[in-house]
Amino acid sequence: MNAKQPTWKQNLFRHEAILLVVLIAEWIFFDAIGRNFGTYDNSCDILRHSCEIGLLALAMTPIILTGGIDLSVGSLLGLCAILFGKFWRDAHLPIPVAALCTLGVGALAGGLNAALITRLRLPPLIVTLGTFSLFRGLAEAITQGVDTFTNFPNSFLFLGQERWLGIPAQAPIFIGAVIFFWLLVHQTTYGRTFRALGFAPEGVRFAGIPVERRIAMTYVLAGIISAIAAIIYTARLGQAKADAGNGYELYAITAVVLGGTSIFGGTGSVHGTLLGVAAIAVLQSGIVHALQPSEMAGMLTGALLILALTSSVLPKMISGLRARKSALKLSKPIA
Amino acid sequence: MSGELLQLTSVAKSFGAVRALKGVSFDLKAGEVHALLGENGAGKSTLIKVITGAHQPDGGSIQIDGKDVGRLSPASARKLGIACIYQQPALFPDLSVTENIGLRLAQAKAFSRVNWSSRRQQAQQLLQRIGAEISPDAEVRSLSMPEQQLVEIACALGAGARIVIMDEPTASLTQKETHLLFAVVRELRKNGVGIIYISHRLEEIFQLADRVTVLRDGESIGTNRVDEMNEASLIKLMVGRDISAIYPPAENAAGEVVFSLKNFSCTHGGVRNVSLEIRAGEILGLAGLVGAGRTELARTIFGITPADSGEMFLNGEQIEINSPQDAVTRGIAYVPEDRRRHGVILEMPIAQNMTMAIHKRFFPGTWLRFGAEKQLALDYIRDLSIKAYGPEAPGNALSGGNQQKVSLARWLATKPKVLILDEPTQGVDVGAKSEIHKIIRSLAKSGLAVLMISSDLPEVLGMSDRIGVMRAGTITSTLPGKSDAPTVMAAALGQKGAGA
Amino acid sequence: MKKYFRELSVAGALGILLIVLAILAPSFYSPQPLLSLAARASVSLVVALGMALVIIAREIDISVGSMFAVCSVCAGLFAAMHWPLALVIVASILVGAVFGAFNGALVAGLGLPSIVVTLATMVTWQEGLRWLRQGEFVNLPDGMQWFGLSQRLGQWTLVIGSIALLILLALAMKHLSIGRFIYAVGSDAEVARLSGIPPKFTTFLIFVFMGALVGLAAIMNIVQSPQVDPQSGNGLELKVIAAVVVGGVSISGGRGNLWGVFAGLLLLACISPALTHLHIEAYWEKAIQGVIILLAVVAEGLRSRKALDHG
Repeated sequence: MNAKQPTWKQNLFRHEAILLVVLIAEWIFFDAIGRNFGTYDNSCDILRHSCEIGLLALAMTPIILTGGIDLSVGSLLGLCAILFGKFWRDAHLPIPVAALCTLGVGALAGGLNAALITRLRLPPLIVTLGTFSLFRGLAEAITQGVDTFTNFPNSFLFLGQERWLGIPAQAPIFIGAVIFFWLLVHQTTYGRTFRALGFAPEGVRFAGIPVERRIAMTYVLAGIISAIAAIIYTARLGQAKADAGNGYELYAITAVVLGGTSIFGGTGSVHGTLLGVAAIAVLQSGIVHALQPSEMAGMLTGALLILALTSSVLPKMISGLRARKSALKLSKPIA
Repeated sequence: MSGELLQLTSVAKSFGAVRALKGVSFDLKAGEVHALLGENGAGKSTLIKVITGAHQPDGGSIQIDGKDVGRLSPASARKLGIACIYQQPALFPDLSVTENIGLRLAQAKAFSRVNWSSRRQQAQQLLQRIGAEISPDAEVRSLSMPEQQLVEIACALGAGARIVIMDEPTASLTQKETHLLFAVVRELRKNGVGIIYISHRLEEIFQLADRVTVLRDGESIGTNRVDEMNEASLIKLMVGRDISAIYPPAENAAGEVVFSLKNFSCTHGGVRNVSLEIRAGEILGLAGLVGAGRTELARTIFGITPADSGEMFLNGEQIEINSPQDAVTRGIAYVPEDRRRHGVILEMPIAQNMTMAIHKRFFPGTWLRFGAEKQLALDYIRDLSIKAYGPEAPGNALSGGNQQKVSLARWLATKPKVLILDEPTQGVDVGAKSEIHKIIRSLAKSGLAVLMISSDLPEVLGMSDRIGVMRAGTITSTLPGKSDAPTVMAAALGQKGAGA
Repeated sequence: MKKYFRELSVAGALGILLIVLAILAPSFYSPQPLLSLAARASVSLVVALGMALVIIAREIDISVGSMFAVCSVCAGLFAAMHWPLALVIVASILVGAVFGAFNGALVAGLGLPSIVVTLATMVTWQEGLRWLRQGEFVNLPDGMQWFGLSQRLGQWTLVIGSIALLILLALAMKHLSIGRFIYAVGSDAEVARLSGIPPKFTTFLIFVFMGALVGLAAIMNIVQSPQVDPQSGNGLELKVIAAVVVGGVSISGGRGNLWGVFAGLLLLACISPALTHLHIEAYWEKAIQGVIILLAVVAEGLRSRKALDHG
């Protein structure tokens, strides 16, 4: 049973290629029908708004590659945001120190997920469902449901609202994260280990690879990224509330799956995730500029996800049907 | 052609571009054991799946008792009396034995009542009939592999099957259970059941089968009566060429002691006070019945279930291994038994599989080096005669024998001092088998200490310089390599007067 | 007895909570508020029963919250158009079943992973509803409230009805073949197919049933107030999955029973009022919920580790 090499046609119809075409089509379409869509200003806006979800999606990619999932990133963003506010306002720490402490909290929270998943071998879906509730709950408890942190110094708000050298100030951070994750997933042994874990969780251990350490790494990274996203979020909105990041995890997962990463792990890419984030962000902005209700963006995102999933199984179904037809032609019984 | 229990005529089946069956004709008489032989990839599994209705053929016809059956589905195949017992027991791990048997036999309509008491009774009776000491309330997940196979056999018996297919049923059975199985097969045959028996173990075929059909590359090469064939002629049919020297000859005396264990134990893993020595250039065969603890010993040495007492020495130095990483760092390699789950990652390219165990050494600073990796893969593809379309081919594009070579390559890349092989040729066709044997012998010649676990007695006798026999977690005797089969078997069974 | 250790421990935890309340906050046990609590919990129970079946079959459905909102609004609109009560109930169940069938077609028919499919449908229905209704409430005619009965009678109807459903389903899962098919498919779908059990059909049926139950729960919910809030159903999927998991159903399918789910749901439903009566601030609810889920998962993990060691 020695199989043949995939043809150029099969390579062309790869997921990321199709998504890129969809993205370009979106852009052209919305530029045509919307006012002020294809402008530089708007592009900056799109980048600004998609930064936090983009960061979460990047961090989600290694996790899903290993066959895991993290539903708690959105709630962790909320928890980190209000803790950041608390460090700055109530503990009177300078902004950079408060930020560093927040990153620490993010790492600890990611570590909690990591410990439960790798040490106690619990299923990631339910563990992060629990921490999803716990982190949001802690955020609500600490703020007692009402407290909001505002009046941040302008030097800080610059990060979320102004431009630096012509591009949105949070862009360098986002680009840095993109580069980091792309290198991690595609150019290092860690990334290869993530994929291997997605395909064969038991087999990787037999190759002498420290499985628990690698998996733990993905969740701790997600925790740190959530903290970074929380700080950017706070800078962008100018305030930190307990409901920050509500629902973000779902859009992050959508972006990752849209980008071609299998929810079961193994296959996927960072550039795919990036395309997924872009596709969703452009869609949202395009809808607004076409003067359509913003809910339509959400509906179309859902529809786009279903289409993407369906198209991934379509090639297999078509080739199966084709093979059956040709085989029937070949081997007609004689009598 | 009426009178035949089962008749396949010009059955063809393709998967995409791969033509698994090219027009195979096969017949089974009532009351006969018909063996099905062939290399991996010859089409045996596909043929079986067509008979059981799991796959629909693209051409040809199937007749039972002379009547055409049309389109088969698993349900209709069952109704017609076709049952199949696979290597991997097809049972529900979370459900009880009673429920497993009940669900398989009941053919219940969706909205009918479940009669628990009669199901339990039925399960109890069937288990007793085959002499299995398994509680019907046990959760299948908690049963061992051999126990699960017995449950499967009970199912087939209960289904009143007239055509029973057995796909490598003895692969993980003990001697006692194999005898049980043979007795069950003979009883079924006496009752007019037709049995299709697939096995790579030629001695079983000569013991059990009436006729044998050989498949090669999706075609039937010929059907003969077993008493008209011998081993050599069978192998020639399967492979299409002569396999002259089955086992490569051993070399001269081995060198220094490279690896030794003293009172080595892992109570949790069932390893008790194992002591052994392996010299450079020597192959120590590890024989024993399934369940004797050989794989457990390998896993303890390799650090998957670390030892809790005893000593391990490598080149005279005492070492401690608590994880597979430790083992690899020390130069101990383990080629696992379960090739598909632990040996090779099927979805990944074979080049990536080959470097999977040497990340730290081969990729300094964790940066991947694709060019160097490709070269490594090409070298191993050449040295081990691996048949694949390139280093980028995924593991599942290769046959079982070639997958095993990739698994071997992965561990050879770690430049080990000690190589532990666990069933290195299980499920591998005859041609690749002899290639792998030659490779193992040349590895030993180059100075490796080789520990070879095998349940294939001829393989153990043909390849080993010395034979360690394990029973109940410990090594009970060490025999010279030129021992004969009865001596080794007696030692494995723990009978008196066995070995040194 | 050992077999049901998991479910009994949840019941035990519930029992301890109830005893603590009896001692420290007997005001919890005033009949009318307790009845109202039970009536509200009965809505979640119905959805949790459906979710239990889905999870036992080794799938998941995170779109139940949005389905619930859509069914509630539809039912409200039907009622506002003065349809007879029985028709409204049937219509709501049918609407739910149709949405469930959509999920089921994608998961069973195309073999797509249920978590992503229901993620997509959740977002789509949620946004679609928000777009159509713009957050507008639906005013119900007077006859709808409590099925036209008195409040007490209506609440008792809901509670008894949901418990009757629980008993019915628990018996069906144990004694009806289709129930065992669900366990089989959840344990190993391929083995089920080879055994002649139709995994695709079973999976499809489960999603349709889930949708129908959501439709029923929606009715049970809207009769409890004079208006339909399109935000109802927010967080329902989390609440219900938590109850199912806490109740001992394994996320990897094939094991668990509905009585455990009942105990789990009651435990989680009692947290919020318990907090009130124990004079603990309400904003601790989510955090405590999260801790309970984590404890339940840890317990499940330890249990399965022990089973593997002994086997």
